[in-house]
Amino acid sequence: MSFDTVTLYIKGNRDVEVTKDEVTLGDILTMECSDKRVIPKVKSLRILKIQKPGRQRYVISILEIIACIHKNCPGIEIQNLGETDIIVTCEDQKTPAKFWHIVKTAFVAAVTFFGAAFTIMAFNNDVDVTRLFSQIHELATGAESSGFTILEISYSVGLTVGILVFFNHFGKKKFTVDPTPMEIQMRLYENDIQTTLVENASRRGDEIDVDNADTSGSSRT
Amino acid sequence: MRLMWTTQILLAAVGLSAGAAVAGGLFAFIVELGVVADFADRTHTADKILFYESCVALGGILGNIFYVFRLDLPAGTWFLALYGILAGIFAGCWAMALAEILNVFPVFIRRSRVVRYLTAFVLSIALGKGLGACLFFFQGW
Repeated sequence: MSFDTVTLYIKGNRDVEVTKDEVTLGDILTMECSDKRVIPKVKSLRILKIQKPGRQRYVISILEIIACIHKNCPGIEIQNLGETDIIVTCEDQKTPAKFWHIVKTAFVAAVTFFGAAFTIMAFNNDVDVTRLFSQIHELATGAESSGFTILEISYSVGLTVGILVFFNHFGKKKFTVDPTPMEIQMRLYENDIQTTLVENASRRGDEIDVDNADTSGSSRT
Repeated sequence: MRLMWTTQILLAAVGLSAGAAVAGGLFAFIVELGVVADFADRTHTADKILFYESCVALGGILGNIFYVFRLDLPAGTWFLALYGILAGIFAGCWAMALAEILNVFPVFIRRSRVVRYLTAFVLSIALGKGLGACLFFFQGW
């Protein structure tokens, strides 16, 4: 087969999870080529063989992937449209036990619920909302505050409305189509982690790249 | 009589705006520090992030109502212990997230040119915070 004239377009995500021992290019990349015979051939190329059991991470440079394709299809032109470094995370089983997942979710839910309750109480206590409200009440009406006035009620309503508008949803019901602040924060956090993983690996020389080419998976994790 | 009503309406407007402003400020603070995103990532439950968000919202709303109206909560010591531990975890993560956002550690590590034994620093920060809290409550400050 001659690949002199065809161009192979490849695109990879930055973070890929695999469950098999043998990682092929088809597991971590999507690809397109005008010559349809090329795609299955390239997809079945092995890029990484995992020898140790358990959860571990590898960072693969796109150069290593291109070198791997060139070794098997000499002369083919490759266009990378995706990331330049790909993090491959190997998991033992695809889904962890469902019960454990529920336990962890319940724990985080409890921490966030009581944490938020503690936070708002600590804030109210810190700025002494109670005293401030009775001062405002006395200023406006001249009468001493009973501690249960329109101010406290409307403050609680305003706080509730403010929280719901800020978070943009309650339960499954969203108020607008935008992602919520926490979804955005989650993505930012994941991006930071991925950048750190790639840079750590390349600084330690662990990245699977053409210079220290080693596809046998013997690099330290 | 009419004057009294206008005063009440004025107070309602003040309370409503105060509540909305506090909610925006405080909860932006919680989210932007990334505490909850951190929890979700550590426990690999990022798919439940909307649920966690609801928990934060509900916790804030109920916590505020119990505080402002001084409601009775007949729950007992075990509930208090649970509340203390969970709120403590949250506050601890929050304090460290704040230090992280302000780049305290990278600055000090760069200045002091110490790059190894970072675990020792993390451990001593945790112990220091814990002992400090104990001292604070023990002395009744």
